[in-house]
Amino acid sequence: MISKDLFRRPNLPLESVGREPGRDAQPEVKCPGCSRSLPQDELAGNLHVCPRCRHYHKMSARARIAMMLDEGSFEELDAAVVSRDPLRFPDYRRKLDEAALQSGEAEGVVTGLGRVDGLRCGFFVMEPGFMMGSMGAAVGEKITRLFERALRERLPVLGYTLSGGARVQEGILSLMQMAKVSGAVRAHSDAGLFYLAVLCDPTTGGVAASFAMQADIILAEPGALIGFAGPRVIEQTTRQTLPEGFQRAEFQLAHGFVGRLSPRESQRALVSLLLRMHAGGAA
Amino acid sequence: MFSKLLIANRGEIAVRVIRACKEMGVQTVAVYSQADREALHVSLADESICIGPAPAQLSYLHQDALLSAALATGCKAVHPGYGFLSENADFADACEQNGLRFIGPSGQTIRQMGNKDAAKRTVAAAGVPTIPGREDLEDVNEARKAAEQVGFPLLIKARSGGGGRGIRRVDRVEEFDHAFREAAQEAKACFGDPGLYIEKLLEHVKHVEVQVLCDQHGHILCFGERDCSMQRRRQKLVEESPCAQLTAAQRRTLMRYARQAVRAFKYEGVGTLEFLLDEGGNPYFMEMNTRLQVEHPVTEMVSGVDLVKWQIRVAAGVPLPFQQKDVEGRGHAIECRINAEDPQQDFRPSGGRIELLHAPGGPWVRFDTALYQGYELPLHYDSLIAKVIVHAPTREEAIRKMHAALCETVIEGVDHTASFQTELLNEPAFLDGSYTTDYLSAREGSL
Repeated sequence: MISKDLFRRPNLPLESVGREPGRDAQPEVKCPGCSRSLPQDELAGNLHVCPRCRHYHKMSARARIAMMLDEGSFEELDAAVVSRDPLRFPDYRRKLDEAALQSGEAEGVVTGLGRVDGLRCGFFVMEPGFMMGSMGAAVGEKITRLFERALRERLPVLGYTLSGGARVQEGILSLMQMAKVSGAVRAHSDAGLFYLAVLCDPTTGGVAASFAMQADIILAEPGALIGFAGPRVIEQTTRQTLPEGFQRAEFQLAHGFVGRLSPRESQRALVSLLLRMHAGGAA
Repeated sequence: MFSKLLIANRGEIAVRVIRACKEMGVQTVAVYSQADREALHVSLADESICIGPAPAQLSYLHQDALLSAALATGCKAVHPGYGFLSENADFADACEQNGLRFIGPSGQTIRQMGNKDAAKRTVAAAGVPTIPGREDLEDVNEARKAAEQVGFPLLIKARSGGGGRGIRRVDRVEEFDHAFREAAQEAKACFGDPGLYIEKLLEHVKHVEVQVLCDQHGHILCFGERDCSMQRRRQKLVEESPCAQLTAAQRRTLMRYARQAVRAFKYEGVGTLEFLLDEGGNPYFMEMNTRLQVEHPVTEMVSGVDLVKWQIRVAAGVPLPFQQKDVEGRGHAIECRINAEDPQQDFRPSGGRIELLHAPGGPWVRFDTALYQGYELPLHYDSLIAKVIVHAPTREEAIRKMHAALCETVIEGVDHTASFQTELLNEPAFLDGSYTTDYLSAREGSL
């Protein structure tokens, strides 16, 4: 027997914490490390490292640029260089379109010039969203051109490698990139210029077997898979059970293939320090 | 935060949730049956929707009606309260499938807890003690050996049983074979499965439970324990926190077990782990309630944490800002559940018009109810009509405060239990905190 209008409505503003399901809900990511869901924003705010289990989530090329380079300093090069399906490999064109749509990038690597704490360098970063950074002719060409440009301008190169290896859809043309990029890296090196590579999860196949391992200093992100053939292939071929942590960054560090592990929180400071130490009179 | 929330419940808990929402700026949608048109939660909420006739099966348990109401009003979340659909895994799933956040754990977790045996095995594997026993016994010789290991007295129960059938109490090993064969025959006749299990019979136990609150980020808070041993036919009448008989070391052990169990279940939201405490103060895990409980205010009073608000915030993904030490509790809180039942007539439910209502008041006295003067109390639902909760620095002062508050509580028009509880507060076993779950039945037997 009380009227609907008996009580006044407090009309307090909605609490701003948390989120609600529906169209405007925050997209969530399931962490492969601890299989819990967490909001994408929170993950991005933590350098894409799971706050609970410290699993390193893959970072897009653009997120790396934002993390490593001085704001507004990045000047992209050769953005129009893309693969064109020279072998007419079945389904390849559709895959390229899909990859472009998914990643928002035109190819598996982004290259350009930028500054780390004011220090100018050539910069390349491979894109996991684009066919897991696989190396076709365009990827090889973009990185080659970057080293050539850095050589002309006498700049160090900072490179983020992340790749499943050669792009099978481009066959031998893809494998040839290993030699081509290696040549450019050699010329850059012979001129006394510094090349710093950060190996991300995964750095495998033709990329691991060429320019990833040719840097003057090789850093790796914790937990990254680094190797030529992947552990599954090796296990199936040799019919042997591989040791725990085989081909992980920690394993490669212990076996001398990697100079140092670089956690993301301190990565920028370390990279900046190394670039400065090798800048000669430039810094 | 959820802009709008549907409360799939009635009575004092619906009012409790609406109050939390109002403070948080969350719009509320109440649902009601035809018998509840005049209920307080209907007028307190921003919107209200009739979901069916009086029987709960056709209204408060009618999942499609609830989901339609939530979707039609643009709700983003559903709070199930306690009872009704609060531990219904299918309803939790249905909410999520319709884009509504169910304020509680996932359907999968609810299902996992609903299977009491599996839940026990999970916590046992996590190192938490459960009531000693042996499962899957068919051969009498093997069973007798198992029984001697478990110890007497014990209960023989049917694996596929329920409703008290096929249960035998055995006090001595000489009685075992006979009881086992009888129980197996009965189990086969009743359930078509002669499989039995045995469980140690714990007598004079306390029912102690631990409130937990877990966010989506793996942060677990174990609030202090509640002693809910003052029960009549498994219905709790008085609850208090902390448990007067627990030593500091026993409490630490209990909290450690609670934390291990929650971690084993990867739990999210508010929940309660129920333990039995034997005469030596050793805890045994019984089950976990995957919802808010009636007696949650006891914990709110000692911890200072609004559990309902945090339940909603955690469901919205907010990380808990508290540390374990912030919530361990100060002082002593007691709750009396006032039921519309006549203690003079074997607690027969009572309905009618509330002619006069006076709520107890004063500092640290809380009165949670959906009653108002002139309200016609329907007989269709649970008989809980109010909860009196008090908080004081010491147990002794809390008992005095509760006593005074109950005397000030006037609910005329229906029979209720407040005077009965006032008497209980004077009982020596309550005063020294030694009461166990069988206390009230023993007392009734002796009257």
